This record gives sequence, C-alpha cells and structure tokens, in this order.
Amino acid sequence: MAEQFVAKASEFQNGDRQIIRVGEDEIGIFKHEGKYYAYSNFCLHQGGPACEGLTIAGVKEKLRDDKTSVGLYFDENSMHFVCPWHGYEYDMFSGEQVADRRLKLKKYNVVQKGDEVYVVA
Amino acid sequence: MSSPKTQTSKSATARPALKKPAAAKSARKAEAAVEPTRAEKAAFLKAMVQGIKPGSKAAEKSAARKGPEAAKSAKAAKAPKAETPAAAPKVEVLRRISGAASIPVTPESERALALAKELEATLADGKLDALQPHAMQALMAALCKIYSAQDEADMRYPVLSGRGAVTGTDVMIVCGALLRAVDLQVFELGMWQSWSGR
Ligand code: FES
Repeated sequence: MAEQFVAKASEFQNGDRQIIRVGEDEIGIFKHEGKYYAYSNFCLHQGGPACEGLTIAGVKEKLRDDKTSVGLYFDENSMHFVCPWHGYEYDMFSGEQVADRRLKLKKYNVVQKGDEVYVVA
Repeated sequence: MSSPKTQTSKSATARPALKKPAAAKSARKAEAAVEPTRAEKAAFLKAMVQGIKPGSKAAEKSAARKGPEAAKSAKAAKAPKAETPAAAPKVEVLRRISGAASIPVTPESERALALAKELEATLADGKLDALQPHAMQALMAALCKIYSAQDEADMRYPVLSGRGAVTGTDVMIVCGALLRAVDLQVFELGMWQSWSGR
C-alpha cells in the first residue's frame, strides 16, 4: 500500500469526484462537505462503475407521533451515490449498500498533505 | 544360502559376548543406508504423486545427484528472493466528474432558505397556526410576483426543486386557491397556456 497522488486539494471542489486507476484497481474519490471518501469503483452487484452515478441525499419519511405521514424529505445529513447500471445505492460515509448494509464497497484511506490529496492503495 | 552381511548381523545379535560392537554398528549403519526409513518411503510416495516442489530438500537432493550446476540452481531457487522495492503502480485518471455548479449566494436567498426551513419544521411539528393568514398572503403574493417577473425576464427554472417532497395534491390545492383568488377558471388558464406556449 502506497500513497498515490490524486489531485490538488485547491482544484478538488466539494461535490467533485475523480475516478482513477491504480494498478488493477479502479477507485472513486469523492469530496463532500470538505471531507474525502474513496471506494472501489466496482459495484457489488455486477461490477458496474459504482462511483460514477448520481449523488443524492437519503430519502426519509417524517411521521407524526400518531404515525401519520408528514411526507418524504431529503435527509441532508446523509449522502448516497448510486451505481448507474441498476441503481445499487451506497452510503458515502461508509460504502455500505443502503438496502443491505452487510454489503460494503472496499474503502480506501485518503490523506491530504498540504495542497495535495493522496489515496492509499 | 545367507549373505555374509546376514551372517555378520546374526553373529552380532546371537553372540554379544564376542564383543565386536564396532563391527555390528557398522553393519547396522550399512543396512540403514540401504533401507530407507518409513518416513522417507512416505516422502518418496508423496513426491511421486505430487512431484518435487522447487526449493524443497527433495529438490536439492535430486539436483545434487544430477551434478554441481543443477545443485547450484536448486539452492538459488530455495534462497529467499532479495526484497526488490515494488514498482509504484501507475495512477491513471479515468474521469473527473464535477459537482453541481456553485450558485451565487445572496443575503435574500439565505434568509428565504432559513425561513423555508423554519416553516417546514413548524409543519412537521403540527403547528399549523404558526403562519397566520395575513403572513401567508403576503408571502404568497411576493412569491407569485417575483417568480412571474423572473419568468418574464427569461430567468426560467422549475418552480420546485424536487427536493421538498411537494405532492401533486399540495400543488392542486395551491393552484386552485390561486386561480380562485384572481377569479380565473381552469379553462382560462388552459387557453392562456395554449396561446402563450408556456
Ligand atoms: S452493477 Fe451496479 S447496480 Fe448493477
């Protein structure tokens, strides 16, 4: 495992992503609210490009005490990314597949040194 | 007929009093050198089935039998490989995906967002009277005017972001109320839409 240069931090804006190939691995690096997250780009379903689809906040439903629905809303405290092939949805903070949290994308550490961002792979 | 070797061994066991331990010992040694042990036999059979693993003792032995050159190369195979620093894998950028274009923030937008958040929270808490009718009317009037002014000025965008989970029923209730407030019929709305192409 070695640190692989990804990008200049000053050029990596919030909401940006980068897909890199390191040896035989493809890795997706996200920047979300100032933090970096990196996962294997091979979807656990059928190997699709897991990190290249839509990013979207988790959808939750607000219920009153008597369990009547106030409606659905986007939970801005969560963030998901969706595999563009068949819609497997992954938690950006953990890499877990949100419908079955036992399934987890391989996670890589990201380190920032000054203005440079590295992924450990 | 018995071989002289057997005789020697026999005499060694039958007559220990003869005290020829050195001879007996060497005879046993010679016998052992000819006859492989059980473990050696098992290893031989294993090697027959699996083949000789490169770098193993068996490989060294068989190479020694073949000559000094083969022995050298067998030893080299056994020696742990010197740690060569792994070449750093090449990083190749496959794709750069930009996030949403950043939206300029105005103080009015900031306050409107804060108010929208606050109103959503009061609704979620079931406090329906938090926004009194006169406040609702003022807010609705301002929103109608500013949205249509932007539309006329070609600043066109969807009126709902799709993030607020507004239902179709919510929209029909509000649209119906707005049409009633300005005394318009749905028919008139339809006519205007077909004429104006909006
Ligand atoms: S390959 Fe990703 S959802 Fe099927």
